[in-house]
Amino acid sequence: MEVLPKIPKSWNLESKPHKFCPGCGHGLVLKALGQVIDELGIQDRVVFGCDIGCSLLAWDFFNVDSVQTHHGRTTPVMVGIKRANPELIVVAYMGDGGGYAIGSQHLVNAATRDDKITVLLVNNTIYAMTGGQMAPTTMPGQKTETTPYGRDVGVAGYPMMGPEMVSAITQEGAYVARGSVARFRKLKQYIKNALQNQMDERGFSFVEALSTCPTNWRTNAEKTWAFLEEQMTDQYPPGEFKTPQGKEG
Amino acid sequence: MARTAVKFNEKKVHKGKAIFRIFPGLCKGCGLCREKCPEDALSWSEDLGVYGTPTVVADPEKCKACRICEQVCPDCAIAIEKR
Repeated sequence: MEVLPKIPKSWNLESKPHKFCPGCGHGLVLKALGQVIDELGIQDRVVFGCDIGCSLLAWDFFNVDSVQTHHGRTTPVMVGIKRANPELIVVAYMGDGGGYAIGSQHLVNAATRDDKITVLLVNNTIYAMTGGQMAPTTMPGQKTETTPYGRDVGVAGYPMMGPEMVSAITQEGAYVARGSVARFRKLKQYIKNALQNQMDERGFSFVEALSTCPTNWRTNAEKTWAFLEEQMTDQYPPGEFKTPQGKEG
Repeated sequence: MARTAVKFNEKKVHKGKAIFRIFPGLCKGCGLCREKCPEDALSWSEDLGVYGTPTVVADPEKCKACRICEQVCPDCAIAIEKR
């Protein structure tokens, strides 16, 4: 009998090994998403939308219907698909640049309108595909290509706290959480809750996943975990920010 | 999947109660699994992965087949089978 790797059933085997860098957190977030799709048995109903940035490398990642859109426009495209065919389960997958910088207007408006979609945002604190420039989520004092002496909050301002903002503007049925790839089971549970929330048609679901970027952080494996688990988790506390009423989080 | 991606090396670990499989066609040599291993059982292997970087090999004496490395591998290159 042929032994295959332990890969989620919804992954597209033809495109593996995937295109992300060694040590990239995207693989882990997509592994969690793949396992959740398998467990919920919704592979034939999911539409997966990816954004510009490193997240677009996931365009052939899954054996589900996929669409790749312009910067930050994944959210409205997914809203359109959901409104045209409410039977489908849509996942808007984007990075922090797509979701919080150029696509923040779409994220804010979709959250305010309480559209019944799931947004999965991967936060690695930089613009990774263009070479590691400062992003809205770059932490104070963090060194990037465009902040070589560390991000100075007096000049460049403070980082964006996504789930805090989204939980403030959404309605009661919304689900908002922040997970981390260092806590894989928790992250998977959050993604599952978010998809379940959409399937129950309660409201907007948003999960931010803290992720790694060894290539642009210029870290080895040990420092990658340390940066994610210590510095990033201090700035961005993981947890559930909003759970639908009548449902324990 | 490319045929090279399904080739694997396996090793009996945890007193023969589990099998540790590594798929060099998927392993990119990032080393995240080595850092997360609570028993310090993983070391660099002579075999090279898909990017020409070393893959990992488990120490049969130390490995307890807890499957943390399998969980943290972004490429699903590690598969542990308990029996």
